[in-house]
Amino acid sequence: MTKESTTPLVKNDDGSLIILFPKSVYSLDAVKKASYKFTDSCSFLINEQNTAYEVLCKPTADIPSKALDELVNSFCNEVLDQDLRERIASETHAVRSLILAQAFSKTSLLEG
Amino acid sequence: MALASTKFKDLDFFNQSLESGYKLLPFNFIKLDDSRYVITNIAGEYLVITKEDLYAVANKQLCPGSPVYNTLKSKHFIYDDDSSVALELLALKYRTKMAPLANFTGLHLFVTTLRCDHSCPYCQVSRQSEDKAAFDMTPEIADKAIDFTFQSPSNEIKIEFQGGESLLNFEMVKYVVEEATKRNQTENRDLQFVIATNLSPLTDGMLDFCLKYDILISTSLDGPEELHNGNRPRPGKDSYEKVMTGMQKVRELLGPDKLGALMTTTKDSLTQAKPIIDEYVEQGFSSIFLRPLSPYGFAIKTKSFDAYQTEEWLKFYKEGLDYIIELNKQGLYFIEDYTALILNKMLTPFGTTYVDLQSPSGMAISAIVFNYDGDIYASDESRMLAEMGEKRFRLGNLLQDTYEGVMLSDALLGPLEATITESMPMCNDCGFQNYCGSDPVYHYATQGDIIGNKAFSGFCKKNMTIMRHLIKLLEDDPEARDVLLSWVRV
Amino acid sequence: MLQLHTTKIECLTTSSEEAFIARLSENDQYPLPLRGKEIFLAPETHSGKLPDGFRAYFILRKNLDSVEANQDFPNVFIIPNDQHYLRDGDVIRFDPKRIKLHTLYRKNSQHNSLLVTERCNNYCLMCSQPPKDIDDSYIVQDLLVAIPLMRRETEEIGITGGEPTILGDDLIRILRALKNYLPSTSVHILSNGRNFANIDLARKVAGVKNHDLMIGIPLYADISNIHDYVVQADGAFDETIKGIMNLKRHGVKVEIRVVIHKQTYERLPQLAEFLARNLLFVDHVALMGLEMMGFTKANIDELWVDPIDYQPELVRAIDVLARYNMNVSIYNHQLCLLDKRLWPFNTKSISDWKNEYMPECEPCTLKEQCGGFFSSALFKYSDHIQPFSESEMPTKNAPQPTL
Repeated sequence: MTKESTTPLVKNDDGSLIILFPKSVYSLDAVKKASYKFTDSCSFLINEQNTAYEVLCKPTADIPSKALDELVNSFCNEVLDQDLRERIASETHAVRSLILAQAFSKTSLLEG
Repeated sequence: MALASTKFKDLDFFNQSLESGYKLLPFNFIKLDDSRYVITNIAGEYLVITKEDLYAVANKQLCPGSPVYNTLKSKHFIYDDDSSVALELLALKYRTKMAPLANFTGLHLFVTTLRCDHSCPYCQVSRQSEDKAAFDMTPEIADKAIDFTFQSPSNEIKIEFQGGESLLNFEMVKYVVEEATKRNQTENRDLQFVIATNLSPLTDGMLDFCLKYDILISTSLDGPEELHNGNRPRPGKDSYEKVMTGMQKVRELLGPDKLGALMTTTKDSLTQAKPIIDEYVEQGFSSIFLRPLSPYGFAIKTKSFDAYQTEEWLKFYKEGLDYIIELNKQGLYFIEDYTALILNKMLTPFGTTYVDLQSPSGMAISAIVFNYDGDIYASDESRMLAEMGEKRFRLGNLLQDTYEGVMLSDALLGPLEATITESMPMCNDCGFQNYCGSDPVYHYATQGDIIGNKAFSGFCKKNMTIMRHLIKLLEDDPEARDVLLSWVRV
Repeated sequence: MLQLHTTKIECLTTSSEEAFIARLSENDQYPLPLRGKEIFLAPETHSGKLPDGFRAYFILRKNLDSVEANQDFPNVFIIPNDQHYLRDGDVIRFDPKRIKLHTLYRKNSQHNSLLVTERCNNYCLMCSQPPKDIDDSYIVQDLLVAIPLMRRETEEIGITGGEPTILGDDLIRILRALKNYLPSTSVHILSNGRNFANIDLARKVAGVKNHDLMIGIPLYADISNIHDYVVQADGAFDETIKGIMNLKRHGVKVEIRVVIHKQTYERLPQLAEFLARNLLFVDHVALMGLEMMGFTKANIDELWVDPIDYQPELVRAIDVLARYNMNVSIYNHQLCLLDKRLWPFNTKSISDWKNEYMPECEPCTLKEQCGGFFSSALFKYSDHIQPFSESEMPTKNAPQPTL
């Protein structure tokens, strides 16, 4: 394991970035899913540290610094959204199963 | 102001059950723009709400009985102790959306011949050949195909003749129509025939036959004369003229309602959205399908090329849609078919059977293809891909395989199982999941993988962009909204 | 307004009869063997002696002079002039002891409605027929006698309450009687639908196989607590929705009825969306004006909103319902208050016996097309009633709402 970083966002000279997501706030799944969505513009390496997930994000092409900032912003927001999706999914898991079970068990009214 | 007597209880009494808080119903969401999100419930009903409201909903910070609260409750995103009937209604709506799946295969494509008098560069399958024996469907194959067709549980059976140029083997068209009609006297299905043709071989005799069997004609019209002839070369360079003459005859003999036309979008089309639409308007059509560029003609397997092409096509689509909306505002009822399809998914309780927007994939469920040589494909695109050397989506052959064998083959079930949007990465929690589909053939053609990474997918980019665009029009442009709503058919 | 009840009856001779149901006959040549079951209603043209053999005799007070009331017949009654509408073939309930006459069925009316019980499990703020918690099971027995007397060609019979489904199997008996004695008559039941949440009741009702049965069910909001407040019953919304689904599962036609008032008009467009997305399969939607009867008068402050003030919501609601191709009508509204885009949906719906027009309407040229008023509207109606003059006649093609 590499030495633990403490600053939430570090810009490296080679254009790559290191972003930290505290484990107490974010789930690994949310970080992964958000990263996957950005695979068209960056490559990702995700490391687990004691208290945070460290995301090494390397743009696949040269990006002007302003655009890079925007990219980081939307990436971080996406991690938040993914986290929310996860919470909604887990809260509604049971009721979703209930609805689907009923959908496939009772006679319908609108077919045909 | 009060109720007449203590016999009546006031509204607060009936609001007591809201105090215990609300629960979430399953929903997905996606960013619409910087400040707004689209949220969609399990039955595909959508709402546009602010980012603040979205997080407030999930964090249980909504004020009971507030307008946002009531809207979310009414549209089945949340429920409370006062009412649980939302669950039953959602189940019913979900089932209704899925109902077209149960009908199974409706559309059966019969490739009567691969021979064609045109040599369109975007077509992978046609042959310029006089050799009938090599590329024509035989009665033996046709019989098997008819048997196969009637094994579909669907009550509505549509047989569409494809090519090459289907009418170059009119004898086979005739044979299949007559045999299937005979067969249907005992089957009693809702049987409909369509001939896809470039109309150049059309004779009066063929039209008489079409009239007798109430056959629909679907032709190709790519746009104004120059574009059309450029896209669709044939000896004499007169494809456009042939289509015009043919269409006139069809209208006169069968009536305008029996005639449809499809356009193929090529690189040359991309700058000509308006002239193409004008051509359709002038020809008296009431709709056009602005079709995406097909990846098959370009044999692309590079992701960036796919994305670039999609970008260009989206510009074409938006320009076309804007123009069509203008035409509607001027009083012409004229529909863009792909838009109408998506709007129907968004705004009605019903599902659709359009092959590209199905989950699981519409392969063999929405349509199935019988090639001239008996090969069975899951879709027209699979057949194209096979001609380019990739036979992955060939499901079997009529001469060797049974209905059950084909329908339960790994070639079919594998992709179907893998391409349920509920389970694909990036699709499973997408706010547009209810409206979208999976196109395994497309993703295989562009990424070499039936699922594909949606971050690179032209299919994903195209549909996301269109859906965002349509929802913004519905939300922000009242005049466009009126036009779009008029395209929804219940 | 027609007086369907009266107690101003005078017995000319003797009577010892219990209450009974009978059909009226104006035919003095009526076959003798059948007379014992009918009441002879002396027609205006009648003079001289009454024909013998009828169960009873009714003479309108104003015709009294020309009739020779035979002293030796029992059961000869003078009925007040406001009963002038009674005709041959009508069916009545008559209680000679308490001298109460109640018209159950009028042969020439399109608006025959059978009140089957006065009990109800809702207590709607605007109930026009306030429920009574009494044992009124005799009504069913009466109706089972009355139904066979009705004209076989009757187009439609309504069933109202109270809440008809409270009768349970007795409702099924009434429906069977209608099915057997009036096999080609449409049947329309007004129910709050709650008891159909029990699918067995829905199955039983469907099982009778009445000709053209439709159940009219009120839904006042897309939000449960608001609907429950309007009907004053917690949990009613869920039961009503389940009831509607169960009826449709068994192929029974359902009409949604929405009374528009202060508590319901604001969410009318949202209710329309709710219907289109959830209950698209219902057969008819009626958006209805308020009737100034029963509880409405008492709760007027909580209910009254001038129809002119809810036109925007009504237009939006109709727009949604029509766009989704739902079969929708506007009931109980006056044309001069309706947005012109709504005119194609307006239906003259008020029963003939309680339909009126106001003095303002006297010169109006569109009275024939207008729904008019409930006679109860004298209590309160819009300040914006405006007669149409010749020049304001709309063209034949009234404008459609933009879809």
